[in-house]
Amino acid sequence: MKRAVPVVVLSIAGLVPVWRYEPSLGAATSTPEAAPTPSASAGSASGTVVKGTTIRTEKGPVEVQVTFDGDRITAVRMLQQPNHPQTTAAVPKLVAETLTAQSADIDTVSGATITSEAYKESLQAAIDAKGA
Amino acid sequence: MGFPVSLRVDDEDVPVARAADAVFAWLREVDARFSPFRADSEVSRYDRGDLERHQLSDDLVEVLDLCEHYRLATGGAFDVRLPGRGLDPCAVVKGWSVQRAADLLTAAGAQRFVLNAGGDVVVSGGPWRVGVRHPEHADKLCTVLELTDAAVATSARYERGNHILDARTGHPATGLLAMTVVTPTLTEADAVATAAFAMGAEGIGWAASLPGCEVFAVDGEGRVLRTGGFPAVRGSTAAA
Repeated sequence: MKRAVPVVVLSIAGLVPVWRYEPSLGAATSTPEAAPTPSASAGSASGTVVKGTTIRTEKGPVEVQVTFDGDRITAVRMLQQPNHPQTTAAVPKLVAETLTAQSADIDTVSGATITSEAYKESLQAAIDAKGA
Repeated sequence: MGFPVSLRVDDEDVPVARAADAVFAWLREVDARFSPFRADSEVSRYDRGDLERHQLSDDLVEVLDLCEHYRLATGGAFDVRLPGRGLDPCAVVKGWSVQRAADLLTAAGAQRFVLNAGGDVVVSGGPWRVGVRHPEHADKLCTVLELTDAAVATSARYERGNHILDARTGHPATGLLAMTVVTPTLTEADAVATAAFAMGAEGIGWAASLPGCEVFAVDGEGRVLRTGGFPAVRGSTAAA
């Protein structure tokens, strides 16, 4: 019984980011896999059902129900899931590039220009000075 | 919440001075109402408990709802309530308020303009060429975008150092050098750029997976990862 404890902790720790994170990736339709392995010990067959908190995502509320058999998770079910085509979209493919430093004729500059000191030295200040 | 604001309006038949006055009056109003650095702001009064949730303005409720949305969406990496610190919704207020300012310009009849608030940009009626500041060289660009109607926001740690915290650890987010996000509104672009930056490297895939969101990220090793639809001018980026 002692050996089972870290396993349970791990499965719960592993599931938490799945509940919290996966909906925001737009993949909420994929129910987290929970091994529905029958209990090896001769424990009671009735599990404890725990309803998770509802997480609001951009696509709608997500609510998960977890069934425990003793310390073991036997089922995870989505009670509420967003009905949105985006939820089935795959994670987008990213293009890798090398970072280049360039100059170009531009109308404005995006960058973290928060302080007025940095603004004075910025390309945006040069553009503004030209237009004024 | 001070930041430099640049406005260019190219419509000839629009009373530009009046439209610009309205924009700057709104941004001053936002500072008075939402700055956590002003003791009499609505944000400070709410944080102190002088105001109850049901007494808040619709605007602040909208801002706080956005903050909560991004806190949940980032697994807690983005949080405007850090332990030991007061409520600081600046990261969301900035994009939200500048988008409102752009909407004021549109309502005043402006169709072709560029509004740049501290490096966060709303453009209308392009084509406009928007450069993205190089994370290591203030006088260089790392890519150039061509946009018609869009918003661009960049979060980076080159200026104020490591000022964006990963709320999951309480430590500065250092996984990325810079994160640029292009979306239809600055409300979303700014919040997503900041939230993804707080998440670190995993924020790239997170932001890229959001619908209508194009991403150009420079990771901790100086590598660029961008979405295929990122609207860069051809030739302004280099394949790895």
